[in-house]
Amino acid sequence: MALTVLNPTIELQAENFELAPRLSTLDGKTVGFISNGKEGTDGFFKHLDNLLREKFKVADIIWETKSNYSAPAEDDIIERAQAWDLAVTGLGD
Amino acid sequence: MNLQSEQFDLESTEDVQEFYHSRGWTDGFPVVPPTPESIQACLDWVHMTPDELIGIEPVRERSITAEKLAINAVMAGCLPMHFPVVVAAWMALLKEEFLLHGTTASTGGCAIFMVINGPVRKEIGCQSEFNVLGSSDRATSVIGRAIRLGLINLLDVSPGAIDRSTLGHPGKISYCVAEDEEGTEWQSLAEIRGLPNDVSAVTVFAASSPRQIMNEWTKDPKEILDTYAAEMKANMLSYSIWAGNYAIVVPKQHRDLLQQAGWSKTDVANYLFEKARIQRKEWAAVGKASVVRDKGDTEYCALASPDHLLVVAAGGPAGGFGAIIPPWLGTKSQAVTLAIGACVDCEV
Repeated sequence: MALTVLNPTIELQAENFELAPRLSTLDGKTVGFISNGKEGTDGFFKHLDNLLREKFKVADIIWETKSNYSAPAEDDIIERAQAWDLAVTGLGD
Repeated sequence: MNLQSEQFDLESTEDVQEFYHSRGWTDGFPVVPPTPESIQACLDWVHMTPDELIGIEPVRERSITAEKLAINAVMAGCLPMHFPVVVAAWMALLKEEFLLHGTTASTGGCAIFMVINGPVRKEIGCQSEFNVLGSSDRATSVIGRAIRLGLINLLDVSPGAIDRSTLGHPGKISYCVAEDEEGTEWQSLAEIRGLPNDVSAVTVFAASSPRQIMNEWTKDPKEILDTYAAEMKANMLSYSIWAGNYAIVVPKQHRDLLQQAGWSKTDVANYLFEKARIQRKEWAAVGKASVVRDKGDTEYCALASPDHLLVVAAGGPAGGFGAIIPPWLGTKSQAVTLAIGACVDCEV
């Protein structure tokens, strides 16, 4: 018996988004970290902080921590991130 | 009929199964073929157009429409009469305080525990007694499954995609109960949470698996509840210390003793608020000494306040078996209760 059935998924194609332009150097740049605040993130970002300052000579590193690690970063963090050259986020469980 | 979804013409119900399974559109069990007629019947039941917006998932900004919910509900086995509960549950899930994205993506692996209250329970054949946390009846089984299929298909909450659960638990197949309002003198969960007592309602709660307790050796309300408190404390030690909503499922044998002693749901909640507490230093005994730090004497309560406890009357008529159902993680997600079939655009 032939059947007509329907697609159960959201059919809209996700819009492509462009990646931010890649930096050619980290030398003298401002880097921001957005941590989810979990236990394991502290050591990770401390190590990354040292690495970026000593090996890659970044000018400054800004640390930000979300108040809820399961929710998106707060608007004020996103606003401050506009002043950074590079952001490191989405890490640390 | 002005359904918008892509249509497929398939040869047989067997073909439908393989077609849907192969595309990752199921939970692994067979599905009911979602035909245009069956979808329209669900929409007619709730007086909704296919494109009616149920809500928007706030993190990924996905619009959830009535048509897509109906397709997933039919696939789960829902009849049109079940669909209003599914719609109300989704409206509740899409409230910002529920944090649907976090709860469904988390490694913590929680499921969505649902409690149905009010006249709709009897109208759709819910059963609130035997095996209430298992497959107690058709209505609660398919409604709970409809929520899961919707998450899979509308928000990509499939294992390894958005769903990053380390373990998950069996409630992620279906995790829905109807409260035994006829078997108790207590106010219903929905009434306690602010709705009129003659209104049908659904409560959604991001929850870990049930932890069953047993106490058949006392008639003292405090002793009965001490067993529930012990399991809440055990969860605080072995899982998460943070306060959040907890549900407790209280069977008739315990309810009768509590009610005979004059204890209301509020009394139960107040008592457990006082008793379900641990000190952080107790973590050392369960292998978590490294995170006690200098806060060993700090006291933690399972509940931020007594009204965070969801007391649910349900379970078979005999047996001193209750359950606590812990939160996914503290207060990051909060339980939401909504009326079923209420028109948010209509003037009351």
